[in-house]
Amino acid sequence: MNLFTSSMLLTLLILMMPVMMSNLNIYTKSSYPNYVKTMVSYAFMTSLIPTIIFIQSGQDMVISNWHWMTIQTMKLTLSFKLDYFSMIFMPVALFVTWSIMEFSLWYMHSDPNINRFFKYLLMFLITMMILVTANNLFQLFIGWEGVGIMSFMLIGWWFGRADANTAALQAILYNRIGDVGLLMAMAWFLFNLNTWELQQIFSLNPTNTNLPLAGLLLAATGKSAQFGLHPWLPSAMEGPTPVSALLHSSTMVVAGIFLLIRFYPLTENNKTIQTMMLCLGAITTLFTAICALTQNDIKKIVAFSTSSQLGLMMVTVGINQPHLAFLHICTHAFFKAMLFMCSGSIIHSLGDEQDIRKMGGLYKTLPFTTTALITGSLALTGTPFLTGFYSKDLIIESINTSYTNAWALMLTLIATSLTAVYSTRIIYFALMGQPRFPTLILINENNPLLMNPIKRLLMGSIFAGFLISNNITPMTVPQMTMPTHLKMTAIMITLLGFTVALELSLATQNLKFKSPSNSTKFSTLLGYFPTTMHRLQPFLNLLASQKVASMILDLTWLENILPKSISAFQMSTSTMISTQKGQIKLYFLSFLITLALTLLTLKYI
Amino acid sequence: MNPFALIIIMLTVVLGTLIVMTSSHWLMVWIGFEMNMLAIIPILMKKYNPRSMEACTKYFLTQATASMLLMLAITINLVHSGQWSTMKPLDPTASIVMTLAMAMKLGLAPFHFWVPEVAQGIQLSSGLILLTWQKLAPMSILYQISPTINSTLILTLSILSVAVGGWGGLNQTQLRKIMAYSSIAHMGWMTAAMMFSPMMALLNLVIYIILTTTTLMMFMMNSTTTTLSLSHTWNKTPLLTTAILATLLSLGGLPPLSGFLPKWMIIQELTKNDNIILPTFMVITALLNLFFYMRLTYSTSLTTFPSTNNMKLKWQLNPTKTTIYLPPLIILSTLILPLSPMLILLE
Repeated sequence: MNLFTSSMLLTLLILMMPVMMSNLNIYTKSSYPNYVKTMVSYAFMTSLIPTIIFIQSGQDMVISNWHWMTIQTMKLTLSFKLDYFSMIFMPVALFVTWSIMEFSLWYMHSDPNINRFFKYLLMFLITMMILVTANNLFQLFIGWEGVGIMSFMLIGWWFGRADANTAALQAILYNRIGDVGLLMAMAWFLFNLNTWELQQIFSLNPTNTNLPLAGLLLAATGKSAQFGLHPWLPSAMEGPTPVSALLHSSTMVVAGIFLLIRFYPLTENNKTIQTMMLCLGAITTLFTAICALTQNDIKKIVAFSTSSQLGLMMVTVGINQPHLAFLHICTHAFFKAMLFMCSGSIIHSLGDEQDIRKMGGLYKTLPFTTTALITGSLALTGTPFLTGFYSKDLIIESINTSYTNAWALMLTLIATSLTAVYSTRIIYFALMGQPRFPTLILINENNPLLMNPIKRLLMGSIFAGFLISNNITPMTVPQMTMPTHLKMTAIMITLLGFTVALELSLATQNLKFKSPSNSTKFSTLLGYFPTTMHRLQPFLNLLASQKVASMILDLTWLENILPKSISAFQMSTSTMISTQKGQIKLYFLSFLITLALTLLTLKYI
Repeated sequence: MNPFALIIIMLTVVLGTLIVMTSSHWLMVWIGFEMNMLAIIPILMKKYNPRSMEACTKYFLTQATASMLLMLAITINLVHSGQWSTMKPLDPTASIVMTLAMAMKLGLAPFHFWVPEVAQGIQLSSGLILLTWQKLAPMSILYQISPTINSTLILTLSILSVAVGGWGGLNQTQLRKIMAYSSIAHMGWMTAAMMFSPMMALLNLVIYIILTTTTLMMFMMNSTTTTLSLSHTWNKTPLLTTAILATLLSLGGLPPLSGFLPKWMIIQELTKNDNIILPTFMVITALLNLFFYMRLTYSTSLTTFPSTNNMKLKWQLNPTKTTIYLPPLIILSTLILPLSPMLILLE
């Protein structure tokens, strides 16, 4: 008991040390980034202790340290919930962060502000840990906002570039919209259940949970870039590659899904919310996979791939399989971070070139990166017995055999095959064929700071699925029997995707480039979503407000309604009345008509 | 014109009106109208030019038609009631036709088309007679048949007249046409009052006659027929600018001048009979009247319009026209309002 608690707190303390050091200006040795990386690795080692204890004995823990305040009847404390989800996620996250920090020692070594970069990464990690281990919604909200702010600081790292600032702001805005949902859920819990503690919420088991769960769904849509609040994730690729690897593939974007997973006792009773999650996830996964097909920036393709996998996680939560979704979070972290790191290696080696149309032929020149990239892509698509297989294949099997929405299932399957397509696209354009980059570049991947993290994550991408899924406590019963064609669905459509993509690429590589069709435009312009939402809506709003202010208010109400209309009316009437032709026959005609009308109406009504 | 002929003609005009006002036999009424009309034609034709001819012709045609309608009404009344007395109430059909005939004679809308044209084509003194004396006879007939007048008809005539009088005068710079539209509007006020209290209609008629006489005599003093020449009054007779200001404002119905008295009385009578919309509309269109009077006063009294440099000092010369009736008329047309408690004698 004591070892569990104390090692957990020791982990958190180890993480806090470098931040406090830099704040107090105690650390004066030169290699602060190295120090940070070493501390993160120690924290990883230390966090394995409570994880193994948890796996061996199956006991949860709640550490409730400090009584913060009491608001009327609600008590707020600093409490850490160390259960299934947080115990398994922490080592994974720390392992991935350790690798990424070592990678960024190589990637950012020429940056003058590298100390600050590492401090930001560490602060992000700390807030992520707060989010994951939070036992009450208040602490979770602190972590939630913390990761949002650190994401802003890190996306806008190169703030001299206008696009980076825009992307950072975009991330903040979209996350904020999701925060409204989280706040609504918190308010509902406060009003109806008088608590923010997760244990109390689950034991009270409220019945009409539509509103708070919809709020949580909105929060997940914002933070995890589901359809509707998704444009910030591809734009966030403006940040450095380590940021993309850490935040926008492994840890921050899964926070939304993590929140929904945390609340699984409530979602498993609410069919409406499950259906909403299912449909939203299915739309997200297919839409972002379509958008990934025509991107030319290697980081954007991987970003859309992340978004698609997040949609898949949402689908999994939607079919009431939160543990499978959690497993997918953990396994996805490995290969996605590695894919980003391989992209970073390629980009840096080619002299900061991110366009895949200008890469090629790296198969021979960057062998290790090639290996890692191909392995990561295979793991992503769910190749049997690599990491992704243990989670992704289980998910596809569960969807196929569950009593669910056939349309959502269809979309998910199509998206799975598209995963293979865009992975093939990356491999084909970046690694195969003749080189398309300028020749005077020194390509060298022999730096141990680069290779060791990729090696570690490579081992993880191959073995982590096996290790994790064999060691965790089974919380649900997996589907044991199903017809052969359902069992083979995932691998069949993946193979189909690979084959089609490779054949198309090889067949069309020497053809002339035609002007894009409508489908291509749909995919290239990201489904017209940014165009309409970012340009059209504000334009219409501003136009309407200008019309209201100047035309309706100034010109019409204040000028035209009374003054000008009255004067125009008077002038027109007076000219109409006083212009007479002077012909007496017209006068007599008017007399006759008046006479006749009067006699008719007044005598014989 | 030969003075003898002029006297005979004027006396015939007066006689005709008196016959209309005092007869108790409908045929005599008609005869009086015809005498009046035939005698006034030479007066309208004082100057021999085609414009005057045209004005006379139009006047003759409309008035003759009106007299014919009057004859028709008398005949209908004879058929229905078998007697010619003016004291007995009229048959409804005859009442309608007679009202229309009187409306044509007075120049109420929609029979107003001849008034501006005839007024424009004749001399100022003829116009004076046309606009003032000629209104007495038809108004007296309307007064006599007022118990049986169809209220819808007369109110329609009155509303149309005030509207036409207001809007028609906005577009004018010729003074005679302005006075013509002013007469149309005032006739509208009178017929509205005729519905509820014929005494107030007569009051309005009297004060209207005084005001119009004053105004036209002031115009005749300088022989001005356009706004432009009226704006030179400061040069010729500076004292007249003040008088014109006061009289025109009184004509527009501004308190505390006497033109306000009839309007006030009429509005009071109307509101006593639970009519709110009608007097509101009439007052609003009276604002239009006031606006074009104000325009005249603006160019005449309130500002000094430029004139040719030859005669800047005409006011120093002795006036030639005799204006013996003008001062009492000016007093009457501006200062009668404090006498309004005397109206209690009418009850």
